[in-house]
Amino acid sequence: MRCYGLPLYAFIIKRNIMTQDEIITKIKNGGQAELGVVYETYREEFLHWIMKEYKCSTDDSQDIYQLTILVFYDNIKNGKLEHLVSSVKTYLFGVGKNLVMEWRRKSGRSTPLDQERWLNDYAMEESDNAPTEQMVHAARNALSKLGEPCRQLIEMFYYGKKSMEEITEELHYKNAETAKNQKCKCMKRLRKLYEEEKTRTLIETPYEQ
Amino acid sequence: MNNDYDINLVEKYFEQELTETETMEFNIRMETDHAFKALVDQEKVIIKGIHLDGLHRDLLYLQSLEKTLKQKPPGEDRYSKKIGYYAAAAVVTILSVIGIWTYTSSNSSEELFLTYYDKPYPNIFETTTRGSAPVPSSLRTDAFKAYDRKDFNEAARLFTELQKTEKDPGMLMLLGNSNLMIGQIEEAKLNFTTLLNDFDDLDLPAKWYLSLCYLKSGDVENARKMLKELGETEVSYATKAKELLKEVD
Repeated sequence: MRCYGLPLYAFIIKRNIMTQDEIITKIKNGGQAELGVVYETYREEFLHWIMKEYKCSTDDSQDIYQLTILVFYDNIKNGKLEHLVSSVKTYLFGVGKNLVMEWRRKSGRSTPLDQERWLNDYAMEESDNAPTEQMVHAARNALSKLGEPCRQLIEMFYYGKKSMEEITEELHYKNAETAKNQKCKCMKRLRKLYEEEKTRTLIETPYEQ
Repeated sequence: MNNDYDINLVEKYFEQELTETETMEFNIRMETDHAFKALVDQEKVIIKGIHLDGLHRDLLYLQSLEKTLKQKPPGEDRYSKKIGYYAAAAVVTILSVIGIWTYTSSNSSEELFLTYYDKPYPNIFETTTRGSAPVPSSLRTDAFKAYDRKDFNEAARLFTELQKTEKDPGMLMLLGNSNLMIGQIEEAKLNFTTLLNDFDDLDLPAKWYLSLCYLKSGDVENARKMLKELGETEVSYATKAKELLKEVD
């Protein structure tokens, strides 16, 4: 069997040369490149299935697939998904199915899927003591004002769940201790920026609080 | 104002690094100390914001990836002669771990590209190693940093922007490699050609990467021509070029 088009990594996934757990480990330790490989590997089958099974338009199907991949990726990064009893494909189809059902239940068949809105809801739902959307928006604004390399470092640590050793290597710090100190300084700045953003938001929209 | 001890305790809580004693203290203070609880809640919001920001960033990445996939002719998704823009990066790791290359034996230009494009040209032009002091941000430093952290989409964007105001062979070399990594082969070809035509530095690596661009786009004839030129030199790329030329032929 020859590998003609898919990246080799995708080919390896497809041909079951890597076990399901190895795929998860690879994604957990990887970044956007790995995310992209998984996206391309199952894309065609997923889109074909969801269009046929749920009569979704091409655009909606692609939107659903992108969110499905993000949920899969996020669950791996957060340690919610460490082992698969089935295959990656089955898992993705399961997530996709739930997503379609939930979207149709909430919005009806004729309303297009709003990815941004869906992602916000998805992220907000996870907290027990849920902060308001406005507060999280202020935090995102603060993050955007943080600048590099702080933003990158913070996102690698809290979103990418990278270890200090991995961050040291990727961002070229002297050692893990330096990276950790830098992270603490960046967080200190981010908290200050958040305070400012929160105050600004309160001034601009006093009645929404 | 929160003191460093409290901040440290909160950070350790979110990093799940609290000791048993610290956990007890944390729980008690959450019940009794309102200022401390507010600090924890604030940290939760900030981390939530970081998480959401990361998700949005990855969504944008998938959307842009989808656009490039859409541009492929129907039926090319699985067995096309073009690779995805992350292929080379993945291949480096996978080949070294599994030694899978023995699995495939085709001499298609696509596969030759995969075999020979082992890694992008290293950034030897501007060091981005950081000490504890924050590095001032600029378009230039951000571009090199993006390249060093293998964020080739961002590096290509920033280097392209930089090229409008300053042209330098090192930047062109890294821009070409970034474009090659993200599958923008025509842009990469243009970068390496400009590098060859407008500068005297980096001619040999530019020819090497240009020949790989040709291979990747299936233009075996031009790849052969370029590799022949390289093979006739007496420097580091000659051996690789001769070897690859033999396979192309």
